[in-house]
Amino acid sequence: MFETIIGLEVHVQLNTKTKLFCSCPTSFNHRQNTNTCPTCLALPGALPVLNEEVLHKSIQFGTAIEATINQVSYFDRKSYFYPDSPSAYQITQLYTPVVEHGKLRIDLEDGSHKIVRINRAHIEADAGKSIHDGEISKVDLNRAGTPLLEIVSEPDMRNAEEAVQYLKKLHSIVRYIDISDANMQEGSFRVDVNVSIRPKGDEKLYTRVEIKNINSFRFIQKAIEVEVSRQIEAWEDGTYDEEIIQETRLYDANRNETRSMRGKEEAADYRYFPEPDLKKAVITNEMLKTYSQIPELPDQKAKRFVEEFGINEYNASVITSTKETAKFFEDMMEEGISAKNAVTWLTVELPARFSGGMDITTSPVDAKKLATLVKRIEDKTISGKAAKEVLDYIMQNDEDIDTVIEKLGLKQVSDTGAIEAMVDEILSKNQDKVEEYKNGKEKLFGFFVGQVMKASKGSANPQAVNEILKQKLS
Amino acid sequence: MQIDDQLLTRLETLSMIRIDERKREEIIEELSEFLNFADNLKELDTSGVDDKFAMDDAPTSLREDIPSCNTEISESILKNAPQSDEDFFIVPKIIE
Ligand SMILES: [Zn+2]
Repeated sequence: MFETIIGLEVHVQLNTKTKLFCSCPTSFNHRQNTNTCPTCLALPGALPVLNEEVLHKSIQFGTAIEATINQVSYFDRKSYFYPDSPSAYQITQLYTPVVEHGKLRIDLEDGSHKIVRINRAHIEADAGKSIHDGEISKVDLNRAGTPLLEIVSEPDMRNAEEAVQYLKKLHSIVRYIDISDANMQEGSFRVDVNVSIRPKGDEKLYTRVEIKNINSFRFIQKAIEVEVSRQIEAWEDGTYDEEIIQETRLYDANRNETRSMRGKEEAADYRYFPEPDLKKAVITNEMLKTYSQIPELPDQKAKRFVEEFGINEYNASVITSTKETAKFFEDMMEEGISAKNAVTWLTVELPARFSGGMDITTSPVDAKKLATLVKRIEDKTISGKAAKEVLDYIMQNDEDIDTVIEKLGLKQVSDTGAIEAMVDEILSKNQDKVEEYKNGKEKLFGFFVGQVMKASKGSANPQAVNEILKQKLS
Repeated sequence: MQIDDQLLTRLETLSMIRIDERKREEIIEELSEFLNFADNLKELDTSGVDDKFAMDDAPTSLREDIPSCNTEISESILKNAPQSDEDFFIVPKIIE
């Protein structure tokens, strides 16, 4: 039996307004090479000046993962030559990072939890982008010098599920504290996975393989699974030492395999040394105090939802997994509806109607509307079944809930007089069945309910129908 | 530390430059001279000195997060690039 060892490195692009060491804007989708200046283009004589907001966001992150925040940290220079890095080096923090020794609690499918240790989080500058086009490459340096926080876990995860849960929790936290857009497709949350295997019980760490730049949680899961199989097969075939080498591999989603990025390894020699253009970064006590203020985190929010609204832990963790969903739920609760109904309509009925990449942030039905719909079930204006029809309708049409209920004729009849009249009519039409019922054929009760509901075209309140029928038949 | 032909080849790879065959001898000599000069520093006894020691112990200054952008500068940088097209810098094909 084998055990899988996984460590994760995540590059989170910080959502500051300006770059790490210069005042160039960081915005996406600007025309190529417009957000550049002598500093981020590394022209001779230009010097870096640290963006205070980067320290702020790093401190917030450190606080969120209960880490040590180094009030004095240092920058180091990592040398490598690549056309999208004009300076031919990257400024990073190798020896004394701003954040160290944190932890993250992850939620597993069986309801249990696990603590994953975070080794460090350090500040570094991003590179530009290049587009390959035949015999040339086009370089856009708008992104060069954008601040990144590289978050490095300990190798504490033992399977793909744990790795994905760690990433989801991390993703959720950085969005809750609003230090990053954390958009995997746009590259503001980039994941590198380190994977190795060992026979169960063995304490030693074997050769780890790094899989780079996988841009969805689903592909990360698959990439880990397929890489683990490759390593186990090599072990079992007796070719582990030749085939499994410390290297960087890419995941090919089409073929569902990892592939070696040959050639890069030989040249790697980063010749790190203390960055001579920057002095130490100091966080004063005052900065530490002010900047460690963070909003409520997903775990805290989930705990509060359980206590305040009496929902179960599982539902609470689903609702708090993104801050948008949590906000939606809280907004629904403002309308004074039952938490149980809010959970069902928010986590089951609404998402079931999402199409074409729609999600809670782009839902055509907002929290107030959905809550109003739930309220109309609770005050017995409509039945649960009718509410589903109303939801179908308002997903397509931006109209007022009460107007839609009227328009679709779904208003439930709770007026006992009207229901009594219908019940009387059904009973007189079916006197033979009433006899049978009175003689003990109690199954017929369902038949009467059905007939009344049918007569009302589904608009009668079933509870009222039940009660009145019981009275009349007794 | 001495520079030899093998180390020079390694440095060529790392910095992606090609050194002319006729110049190798001269460059090896020059680089060795630099290193020997730096070796002078070894004469100092630094055993009691913190490895984070800096001549200027003041913290690095911080900048407020307020964007400013002078497109004249970026335009003129692009204009002065050896090759550019549609506001991209053009470089020889990068092999991934
Ligand atoms: Zn700049």
